[in-house]
Amino acid sequence: MIKYIVVALLFGAVAGYLNGNWRSVIDGVWVSNYLLNASLLLLLFVMGLVFAMDKESIAKIRRTGFRILVVPLVVALGSVLGGLVSGLVLRIDVVATTAVSAGYGWYTLAGPLVGQIFGAKWGALGFTANFLRELLTIVTISLMVKLGKYAPVASGGATSMDTTLPVIVRYCGPDMLIVAFWSGFVLSVIAPFTIVAIASLA
Amino acid sequence: MVNFAVLVVPLVAGMLFGYVLRGRRQINLGRVTFGVILVLIFSLGFSIGSNNDLLSSLPEVGLSAVVIACLTILFSVVLIGAVRKAVRLE
Repeated sequence: MIKYIVVALLFGAVAGYLNGNWRSVIDGVWVSNYLLNASLLLLLFVMGLVFAMDKESIAKIRRTGFRILVVPLVVALGSVLGGLVSGLVLRIDVVATTAVSAGYGWYTLAGPLVGQIFGAKWGALGFTANFLRELLTIVTISLMVKLGKYAPVASGGATSMDTTLPVIVRYCGPDMLIVAFWSGFVLSVIAPFTIVAIASLA
Repeated sequence: MVNFAVLVVPLVAGMLFGYVLRGRRQINLGRVTFGVILVLIFSLGFSIGSNNDLLSSLPEVGLSAVVIACLTILFSVVLIGAVRKAVRLE
């Protein structure tokens, strides 16, 4: 199944590149905006439907209860630690790499925000690193799920609310819908605050 | 956070619909859903491929970005694994 996903991704990337740089067949916005959002909204509807029809999923969420609240906070802490360690490994500005990792995968936020604070080069890094987080989550999901069904949610970070949610639910089961959405939502809300807070340490 | 309402509406609508339909009969949406997932992934790839700013910054920041992305994922995954055991998440 994962190979279809990788093929679709590569095919899309090549098509997008050719359409933008070689011969423009359609206005790119139709695909990268409208088609993307339409398929996402349809999937969200179907996932909600499947979740509510599955009595076991609802029972599982009830049993887990408020403990799901800790998931995004743990993911946030793990991400920030990862950013800190990568700064040490790469021997570059540790505060900046930590701020980059506090985008939690939300690259359209992390890119411009980190760029504004630390300069354009860091903005490019913030954008790319967070975009890679989304990409790696999708591409490695079949391996990731073997580490436990919370692993893909942690890997997806803020994106587990939207772009990676369908893939996560597909591989981890409908009972992970609420956890994944909740985690992605909280991380999206706190991302701008944590980036600015970390930057203020510089 | 403009996106949030846009995401919640179809999700909740689907849940309400599913709640009403519950117990009637099981429908297998697996194949259809996977097709739509592929459309989503394709359009995601498309938006990457047509983003020249992203592509041109790759050679310069690529390696650092890979390291940050991998370690960020690694630490999140390891930490959630540990906490999951500690608080006994199902």
